[in-house]
Amino acid sequence: MNKQNTLTLVESLLIDYASGSLPLALEVLVESHISMNPSSARSIRMLLQIGGALMENSDPISMSEGSFERLMDEIDGGQQDEEIAKSDVSNDNDKLPLPLRNFVSEATFPKNWRRIGIGLSEQTVDFGDEFGNAKLYRIAPGCGVPSHSHDGNEVSLVLAGGFTDEYGSYGPGDISIQETGAVHKPVADADGECIVLAVNEGPIVLTGPVGRLLNMLIK
Amino acid sequence: MNLRVVAELISSLDMSMGSGSSNDNQNNLSEWDRLLLRVGSYRDRSAFKKLYEHFAPRLKSFLLRIGSDMSAAEEICQESMIMVWRRAETFNPESAGASTWIFTIARNKRIDKLRKDNRPLPDLNDPSFFQIPVDKSDDILQRVEEEKKIKNALKNLPPEQAKLILSAYYEEKSHRKIADETNLPLGTVKSRIRLAINRLRTQLEELEG
Repeated sequence: MNKQNTLTLVESLLIDYASGSLPLALEVLVESHISMNPSSARSIRMLLQIGGALMENSDPISMSEGSFERLMDEIDGGQQDEEIAKSDVSNDNDKLPLPLRNFVSEATFPKNWRRIGIGLSEQTVDFGDEFGNAKLYRIAPGCGVPSHSHDGNEVSLVLAGGFTDEYGSYGPGDISIQETGAVHKPVADADGECIVLAVNEGPIVLTGPVGRLLNMLIK
Repeated sequence: MNLRVVAELISSLDMSMGSGSSNDNQNNLSEWDRLLLRVGSYRDRSAFKKLYEHFAPRLKSFLLRIGSDMSAAEEICQESMIMVWRRAETFNPESAGASTWIFTIARNKRIDKLRKDNRPLPDLNDPSFFQIPVDKSDDILQRVEEEKKIKNALKNLPPEQAKLILSAYYEEKSHRKIADETNLPLGTVKSRIRLAINRLRTQLEELEG
């Protein structure tokens, strides 16, 4: 998809993020993106500020009788150790942005790669989400993903390195969006390994002759 | 957040808790920001009660406007306000004012609730909470100015644009409903919302210049 269309879809993605209507996999993708892209981080900040202002400008509607007292009872009766349970993630995997580290264990990350082609490996990220599927792809320098189309929209975020396809070049923090039916053939930049997080609404359909064979393997 | 800044804030709080004191202008924080800092520092129940009385009915009203039903709105309000109490010490007035912060908590609580209604989700290190993105160059004054500008701009929007801006915060299913009612494709509805947001952004930038 061309850069302009991608840009507008990213804007819509950011709005859906701020309103809280993204499935978990995309939410984490967007959080990872904004941790790498200051301009999108500023957009999110503005959208949250607008949300706050809309909320505060709303005409108050009374809470039901005794709400505050019930709340204080709950607070007084609640476990005090909640803060402790929310300790920081002890995952120092600096290949992954912070928001993603909650979902990819540092121990299994190096081991879970499954080779699916020349210079191409993947691993599934489990978001416990019924919406689509999320995968990490690792592409060796100069290697490519076989030409494939998408059955369902796919949003990809470059985590490391970069790749180029028919529509443009993408570096760390960049999002590429493939709409249903779009065909592309990404090739990793020559100067380093490329790692991509891809969230897909439906299964990828590989279109080349090798790809058709791979379809059977990656299902 | 810089510890010195926290120390300064807290020391100024003790002097200026009376409403409308002269320190309001000096430290630029709203009454609500300062109450929230008091809750964080001292577990101050009367400060929390004031916050509750101000924000809970507005949050409830907002949630109803964006598509929650009455019982969900009350529940999300209560859960959000519990979070406000428990997380008040992490409130950082450099990155967000009280209304933005509370909105963000409610946003997360609403997501939690929608997800729980659909399927069991393990609490993976509290995905319900995240930090509001901060610019490195941020300071409180800049943040306060930003939020003031947004509040004023929203008040002066033409009704049609205001409606579109609000609908950016609707639940996903409400976007589909709008699409059905207006006979427009979902993509068109989303793109009108996006354009309304972009127009607001441009208006804000013009105010800056």
